[in-house]
Amino acid sequence: MATQLPPGIQLEKVDDRIMTLNVGPQHPGSGHMRLIIKVDGDYIVSCDPDPGYVHRGEEKMAEYRNYIQNIPHLERPVIHDSCNILYPYCLAVEELLGIEVPERAKYIRVIASELNRCIYTLYWLAIYGIFLGHSTMFMWPAGDRELFIDLLEAMSGARVTHAYLVPGGVRNDLPANFEERCLRQVDYLEKRLKEYQSIFYKNPILISRTEGTGILSRTDAIRLGTTGSVLRASGVDYDIRKKEPYDVYENLDFETVVRKEGDSYARSYIPYLEMFESCRIIRDAIRKMPKSGSVRTKLKPNPKGGNDEVYKRVESGRGSLGYYIVSNNRPEPYRVKISVGSFRNLICMPYLLKGELLGNMPSVYWGLNYWPVEADR
Amino acid sequence: MSTAGGIIRALNSGIKHLAIRRFTLRYPEQKLKFVGDGFQFNPETGVGIAGLRGRHILYHEHCTGCQLCSVACEGIAEAIGMVKIDETWKQNKKAIMPQIDYGKCVFCGLCVDACPFYALYMTNDYELSSFTKSALIYTPAQLAVKPKISQDVEIKIDDRGATHG
Ligand code: SF4
Ligand code: SF4
Repeated sequence: MATQLPPGIQLEKVDDRIMTLNVGPQHPGSGHMRLIIKVDGDYIVSCDPDPGYVHRGEEKMAEYRNYIQNIPHLERPVIHDSCNILYPYCLAVEELLGIEVPERAKYIRVIASELNRCIYTLYWLAIYGIFLGHSTMFMWPAGDRELFIDLLEAMSGARVTHAYLVPGGVRNDLPANFEERCLRQVDYLEKRLKEYQSIFYKNPILISRTEGTGILSRTDAIRLGTTGSVLRASGVDYDIRKKEPYDVYENLDFETVVRKEGDSYARSYIPYLEMFESCRIIRDAIRKMPKSGSVRTKLKPNPKGGNDEVYKRVESGRGSLGYYIVSNNRPEPYRVKISVGSFRNLICMPYLLKGELLGNMPSVYWGLNYWPVEADR
Repeated sequence: MSTAGGIIRALNSGIKHLAIRRFTLRYPEQKLKFVGDGFQFNPETGVGIAGLRGRHILYHEHCTGCQLCSVACEGIAEAIGMVKIDETWKQNKKAIMPQIDYGKCVFCGLCVDACPFYALYMTNDYELSSFTKSALIYTPAQLAVKPKISQDVEIKIDDRGATHG
């Protein structure tokens, strides 16, 4: 007996050759998201990403809290990159409230956010390694990350959720002898990073699995609005730290890493090469930083933003990260919109996976430098 | 580069690690050393002093019961409640002091920023686990106790790699 379907609902017509796979939404292999993949044999016919499993309403929550109370919850979407996600928020609120930031604080913010970018990238690299079944590449970055976590812990007092950057500067000054300790650990990490080359990036097994898979052309990368390492892997020289320098990035010496191939190998190589640039920025910032001075401009209690709106963005570990804040003369923002790189890079997933082998799905997917929690906010 | 050569090189760089020191911290036996005595505030400059943001410490002789810490925490974790105390302090007419629920606290330290009388600081104590939920609620008397801690292991770096102590 045929079941009577409610009006307006149709059953999907299924081809016998096509099988639908649900990857996720439980953790292993996908993060907190689901990929609905249709396969014909071993080849992917279509891929439909289904994000939203970890939506927490950060934007709505921000409307009920004042500008300072917003700090701890706004860093929750990417706890591994918490300085970078707070950075545009601080820049935006500073413009809204008209606060000047002391020079030393600007340098400290740059150091903190570059350290945090490395911590994030190493974590991402660890997961990328284990996705491809390379368990050594999981353990090395996960251990070396500790060096920078230790530095940020000395700076901010917390290991992961730092709540260190605030509108007006940073919460506290650097501890004594920090510069020396920081340089020592940065040097050591750089030495360690070079060892990743032979075991991972120059490993023929990795190369054969990632080279030439999931190719995103330069025009497609621009047309789809991708950002961050995905955009730079397709040959577009675009880094917000260079193009729209914020705080003191224009004084610092570093280069944008660009590759032309646009395949999954290039996308995984760029964040790694950028860690060397981050180390360079940290060294340069320590050299150029004023040796003493104030680090925080005190705000009035419960500061009110005028009738105004601002948009500020920075380059985070996953690409452009922006905050659009509207205020209407109240201590709480009227509307906060967070524009995140992860969500913008998600759009190219169906294009990249079409026609790929199912076995290449993890490398293409995680090579997008995608962070589900950030995309869902 | 030939495939076999690449694989041998990759294996070789793994094998070299047999000579490198163990990096792992053996936690309950070894405890990591932190800078300073916890997150505090410098009354002169009004800027924080770097330190670990662990359990709070409340200086009863400074606290005036102004409730600003609990107001600050309201939008964050609602971990602070003001409770009556038995002691009498002349600066604290209402005889109320903060009580912190560590089941809720996220250790952001913004209550320390908010306290205008420098009565609330944070300490290096992070081992707060307990078997009951009610034991996570620290009364003003418990918060006044300075924690006893022995944390002495640091990251050491030499040519055989980085290690913990
Ligand atoms: S540290 Fe943060 S969450 Fe904890 S009591 Fe203070 S303000 Fe509340
Ligand atoms: S701890 Fe500080 S902010 Fe809280 S009630 Fe006491 S004096 Fe006021």
